[in-house]
Amino acid sequence: MERSLERAEDYFARYREIIPDYEGFLESLSEPLPLYFRLNTLKTKDPEPVISGLTRQGFRVEKTEIPWFFRVEPREASLGNTEEYYLGLIYPMTLSSSLPVYALDPQPGELILDLCAAPGSKTTQIAQWTEDRAVIAANDRRLDRITALVANLRRLGVACALTTVYRGEMYPLEVSFDKVLVDAPCSGEGRYRKGYEGELLYQKEGRTNLSGIQKGLLVRAFDLLKPGGILVYSTCTINPEENEAVVDYLLRKRQAELLDWEAPLPARPGLTEWEGRPFHPELVKAKRFFPHEIQAVGFFVAKLRRRI
Amino acid sequence: MSRSRQGRKKMDPRAVWPQPVPREEREEVLGYLEARFGIPSSTFEGYELLRTAKNYWLFVRTPHLADLQRLRIQTAGLLFLRKVSEYLKPTSAALQRFGHLATRNVVELDRLTLDRLRLERKIPWEGKVEPGYVILTCEGRIWGCGLHLPGKLISYLP
Repeated sequence: MERSLERAEDYFARYREIIPDYEGFLESLSEPLPLYFRLNTLKTKDPEPVISGLTRQGFRVEKTEIPWFFRVEPREASLGNTEEYYLGLIYPMTLSSSLPVYALDPQPGELILDLCAAPGSKTTQIAQWTEDRAVIAANDRRLDRITALVANLRRLGVACALTTVYRGEMYPLEVSFDKVLVDAPCSGEGRYRKGYEGELLYQKEGRTNLSGIQKGLLVRAFDLLKPGGILVYSTCTINPEENEAVVDYLLRKRQAELLDWEAPLPARPGLTEWEGRPFHPELVKAKRFFPHEIQAVGFFVAKLRRRI
Repeated sequence: MSRSRQGRKKMDPRAVWPQPVPREEREEVLGYLEARFGIPSSTFEGYELLRTAKNYWLFVRTPHLADLQRLRIQTAGLLFLRKVSEYLKPTSAALQRFGHLATRNVVELDRLTLDRLRLERKIPWEGKVEPGYVILTCEGRIWGCGLHLPGKLISYLP
C-alpha cells in the first residue's frame, strides 16, 4: 500500500500545474469512487419505488444535480445484483459519464453514431434523453463487448439502436450522421483511486499508443459527419496528450470548429499549452472535469462542429 | 451448435438486416397484442416492425432505414415477439417496456409464488385469465412473459 501511495503521487506530479487544488486532488484518491445510477425513464419516471426498493436492501440513495441521476452509499457495494438492475430500471454509471451526452444534445429523429459504445451507458442515455426516438448506431470493435452492449440495450428496453462491430477508425463511410460521439479508449486516469480503481494505469502507459488510436478515431468520426454535424470527443483521463493534443490534431487536419456548451457540473477550460507546446486557442472551449471537484470520475469533453 | 460456431455465425459478413414487414403482417402482429393484452396498436406508431425467420424486432421508424441497411449489423432494435409453433410470444424485454399499457391477461403474483416460479420454471397454478401468454407482475413491477395452461403456469423470464 505504501508503495502504491508513493507511485500515485509520483505519477500525477507532472499534472501539478494543471490540476486545481492539487493537494485536495491527491487526498481524494484515498477515497473509493462515489457510486451513482441513472433511472431508466423508458421504463419508469417515478423514482420513489426504486429508491424505496434499494433502501430496503440497505442502500442509501439521494438525488444529484443531474436529472435522473442518484448517488448511492455504500459506494463499495454493487448494484448489479439488485432486482432494480435486473428489471432494467436502473443503469449504474458515474455522474460525469453523463456529460458527453449533454454536450451532444441528442434530439428525436437525429441519426447518431456512438463510435465506442460498449457497454452502452451513453447509448442508453441518448435513447432515454430522446424518448427512444433518435436513431443510434452503437459500435464497438470487440464482439465480446458488443455482447454486453446488446444485453444492456435489451435490459433497458431500447428500440432505437442498432449495433455494429467495426474498427472505429475504419467505420464505413456509406452513411453520414447528424452527430457522432467518440468516448475514446483512454488511460483512465480520471477514475484512478488508490487501491480501488485504475491499477492498470501504470501498465497501460507506454505500451499502447493511445493518443494515436484516439486521433484515428476522431478523424474518422469527423469524416462520418454531415456538413454542419456535431462531434463530441470525450475521455476519462487527465493526460493532455489524450485530450487537447488529439482535438488539436483534428483542428489541423480538418475544417472543424470548437463549440461552447453548458455543463451541469463545474468545469475548467481546456488547455492551450502543455509542456511548452501550444494548442489551438479555441481549445479553451473544451471542458475539463476534475474528480475532486465533481465527486465522480474525471472527464474531458470537447464539442465540435463540421464546418459547412 | 457449439459456441464457436455460433460466434462465427454472428460475424457472418453476409448476414442480412431483418426486413420491414408488410402492412398486413404488421396489423396481424399488433392486432394480436391488442386482442390478447389490450395494448393499443397506436403505441407502436413511431416504430418499424422488422422480421427475421422467427423473430420480430421493434426498431425506431426513420426515413434513413435504406441508408442504414448498408451497415453490417449485429442487432437492430428490440427483440419484440418470437414465433413459437404457430403462436406469437412477446419477449420479456418488450413486456417490461410496454406491459404497463396492458389491460388484460396480466397476472399479479406474490413474492413467494414469483420466486418459486423463477426457480422451478413450471408450477401448479389456477388463475382467472385465459390460457395463453400472460404478463407476470409482482409488487407493481413487470417481470415479463409467462404461459398459462390449464392448472399450471410456466415461466419465460430470462
